[in-house]
Amino acid sequence: MAVQFDGGVVIGADTRTTTGAYIANRVTDKLTHIHDRIYCCRSGSAADTQAVADIVHQHAQVYTAIYGHAPPVATVAALFEKMCYENKDQLSAGIIVGGWDPEVGGSVYNIPLGGGIFRQPWAIGGSGSTYVYGYCDATYQEGWNEEQTLQFVKNTLALAMSRDGSSGGCIRMCVITKDKVERHFIPGNELPRFWEGKEVTGVEAVGLNAADMVIA
Amino acid sequence: MEYNGGSVVAMIGKDCVAIASDLRLGQQSVGVAMNFEKVFPVNDKLYYGLPGLATDVYTLREQLRFRVNMYRMKEEREITPKTFTHLLSSTLYEKRFGPYFLEPVVAGLTTPTELEPKPKPFISTMDTIGCITTPKDFAVAGTAQDKLYGMAEGLWEPDLEPEDLFETISQTLLNAVDRDALSGWGAIVHVITHDKVITRQLRSRMD
Repeated sequence: MAVQFDGGVVIGADTRTTTGAYIANRVTDKLTHIHDRIYCCRSGSAADTQAVADIVHQHAQVYTAIYGHAPPVATVAALFEKMCYENKDQLSAGIIVGGWDPEVGGSVYNIPLGGGIFRQPWAIGGSGSTYVYGYCDATYQEGWNEEQTLQFVKNTLALAMSRDGSSGGCIRMCVITKDKVERHFIPGNELPRFWEGKEVTGVEAVGLNAADMVIA
Repeated sequence: MEYNGGSVVAMIGKDCVAIASDLRLGQQSVGVAMNFEKVFPVNDKLYYGLPGLATDVYTLREQLRFRVNMYRMKEEREITPKTFTHLLSSTLYEKRFGPYFLEPVVAGLTTPTELEPKPKPFISTMDTIGCITTPKDFAVAGTAQDKLYGMAEGLWEPDLEPEDLFETISQTLLNAVDRDALSGWGAIVHVITHDKVITRQLRSRMD
């Protein structure tokens, strides 16, 4: 998901890649660098999205070489949209572009499966997103600062990761502003936890963590 | 078998057995319940786990409750793990051409008798139509079966005391289900010894 705020954009994603029900990678990095202040979140087929992102990354570099400045986020999003729309029959790619540019500030562009392009204040995607539309609609406010936006992204992702079998692992977030791109990582055992029901059959939950048992 | 998700593992220790399951009930990718137990007692020395289609979990549980009660009334004694395994097997084979979508796991301790003064702890597993296997070490079933095989093969060793068996079976279950998108959302472990059963819920990943 990606959320715009005063000063930039926060993008975030879970870290799970599955082949069927097998979790092939539990620490994936789905936040992909396109340019200095432009990142994208990838969902759908990993191969498709990696290939498209690589090509757009190249286009962005060529743009910078020709024009002498970074491409606007809208331009990069248009490049993604061109690839995703023209190859819509072959691709399974849901991409969210988030970044900062000097003319507009922070902006978020959602490019779902068909290859349409939608600028939104906040955008969510991927299989887990369906479970958190209500939460996002109810919670989002305009005018948040960086801290509040981070909290929103963290909670949304944690809820989706809890419900959706295809989402999980850890949370990776990037804060993209004029000055820098700051990466955040939240390990799986530090995720926010929500209602999980009472103990089963009156049994006490034991605090046994996999981390407690180290095989030297 | 993969619609609701869920996994069970049982292990043999020194004069004890342990059986554990996750607590997830899902509908394909969406998780629905985090308190769906899959391991049930026959009596305080015999437990069995039913991973697979959730509706069949409940149906078979009730079927077995009936059959075990009838056995108890007629025989006027508790059923042994071995006999219970065979009872389960014939119940499944009755539905040979329209089976229950379950792969049960049984774990229990046999009470000593004159004929068998030092019985070995017992585990067994079977396929969906009742073919019995009686392994000497561990039994695994469910959507995380392949991962459970790997974990158990690596961690199990013979003659584990109850506390060590608890640690071993817990780590086997937790790390196997963490690689399976359809299992998890909590875990519960039962360790059965001759004087008591200790049941513990584990703090696990909830994704």
